[in-house]
Amino acid sequence: MRPDRVVFARFAAASLLLGAGIALGAEPKEWLERMNKALTSRNYVGVFTHMRGDRAETVRIIHRVRGKDVSERLLSLDGSEREFIREGDELTCYYPDRRMVVVERGAPDGPLLGALPAVDEGDSNVYEIQGGERERLLGRKTRMVALTPRDEYRYGYRLWIDEETSMPLKTQLCDQSGRVIEQILFSNIDLPERIPDSMFKPAVDAANFRWLRADRQMAVNSSPALWDAMRLPPGFRMTTRSAQSMPGSSEPVAHLVFTDGVASVSVFIEPRKADSSVQQGPASMGSSSAFSTVVDGHQVTAVGEVPASTVQFIATQVKATPSSKSTPAAAQGLGLVPPAPRRK
Amino acid sequence: MNEERDSQLSAMFDGELPGGECELIARRLARDETMRSQWSRFSMIGAAIRAERGVALHDRVAWRVQSVISQEPTYGDGTDIGATNAHTAAVVPAEVLRRAASRRWNRFTRPLAGMGIAASVAAAAILFLRFQGASDELVADNSTSSGVTQSIVLTPEQPAPAAGGQVPSERLALNDAQKGSTDYVTPKPSPQTNLAQNASLANYVVAHSEFSGPISRRMALLGILASENAAGAQPEGADANTETTDAP
Repeated sequence: MRPDRVVFARFAAASLLLGAGIALGAEPKEWLERMNKALTSRNYVGVFTHMRGDRAETVRIIHRVRGKDVSERLLSLDGSEREFIREGDELTCYYPDRRMVVVERGAPDGPLLGALPAVDEGDSNVYEIQGGERERLLGRKTRMVALTPRDEYRYGYRLWIDEETSMPLKTQLCDQSGRVIEQILFSNIDLPERIPDSMFKPAVDAANFRWLRADRQMAVNSSPALWDAMRLPPGFRMTTRSAQSMPGSSEPVAHLVFTDGVASVSVFIEPRKADSSVQQGPASMGSSSAFSTVVDGHQVTAVGEVPASTVQFIATQVKATPSSKSTPAAAQGLGLVPPAPRRK
Repeated sequence: MNEERDSQLSAMFDGELPGGECELIARRLARDETMRSQWSRFSMIGAAIRAERGVALHDRVAWRVQSVISQEPTYGDGTDIGATNAHTAAVVPAEVLRRAASRRWNRFTRPLAGMGIAASVAAAAILFLRFQGASDELVADNSTSSGVTQSIVLTPEQPAPAAGGQVPSERLALNDAQKGSTDYVTPKPSPQTNLAQNASLANYVVAHSEFSGPISRRMALLGILASENAAGAQPEGADANTETTDAP
């Protein structure tokens, strides 16, 4: 064989192997990253079944990315006919069964749908990331990736990621022992180039509903330390400290966000009102756990898609920090700043 | 017409429709909302049955099918099959019922009979992915290399019958703790529910979801969609940050 042909043959063989490596040998983390990118950068319209406990609900999802604008609509096709429509930083929640509409506004500089925790090396300490093998699901070639928590402070995920589109066709939320808590299973997905605005109109005529609107985020006090958690479960770190108004609340609420790279927990801190009842203890809504307590005259509530023990741990560790003593009085008036520690 | 449509869908579910007809049905699915809705129901039924026994479905059709399964006679118990079928024939496609009936006389007990039907439905589940032409206007990463409309319709391979509550697609290389753990578990209700009204909790969950990853966010919002009591917090009265109106 001529030398140039040998070189060409070697080059071709190497290319084939490299190509196969990219296509077939991707690490589980790479599939997660591809999935995250697909979920946040593609247009898609689909119907999935959401199952939890003894309930199953069919939900339509419409997701559109246009420039920096992300729109998303979640519509319950059963029962309540509730729906959520997000356009930019505004999330409108329609509750036809309550004849109510709640409009939430995210922080102008807060994370959009595209911003999500990246799976990095540190996450390997708290999650075991396995899988990547090919599996057939719904007639499609998928890669199954499992994030298994290494401790009891977080849930795990199993994801069946479509090879061709990187969309998660099936998602399971699992407890530490691997039992399925919640599941999402798509029955169809369209990936259209265009999604018209008309698809983001609510199905219900809400003209006569009661509307509740939260104003945009109030001015954020940028003091370096106001409220903080003295201790956190392994792997968690604070990523956001902000203030925002809540529908139905007359004052802005301090909002701390902690994440381990996959799971996240929000802590909301608001001054207690003299006439309000004390809220303390655990609660849950779907896969979200919550725990509420009172710290220095403030109502502290931790919420997240984590086990109940995790939100309790974090909520009970939130304390006022010493530097808050130098915080302007105006900020304290907003309820964003805890009172100065009492002298004994 | 509807019967014919349902029959075709059912046959497709069971992997018994010729490839050419599958493609035609898939194209119809792409443009026929009613048909897609029916397809979705079939998928939901299969998914629900496959995932867990005794799931309470809200969908009327799904509920009916489930009722068939719940009345499924154990092998040799002498239950009158015809009566059961007559009860549901009005809303369940004949093909589905026929196949359900044909499985009654297998050797498995009632739950496994349900799983058998589930396997059939699961085998027929289809994912329809449609790619449309490229657009200069939008920046979503949906463009295809060819830039032309592309329809992909795949019917799955016939899986082995599910047994012991395991679904073939869930045969995973997982650690020991995860093996054989496809049963659902619902966390115990909190002993105290006086955290706040569910309404306030819903607001917190929504606000929190803004800072979650896409999967977690979806799970969080779905918790509210499915909640009996969740709704926005009631207004406390006029205040600076909350506007209450009776119209958008």
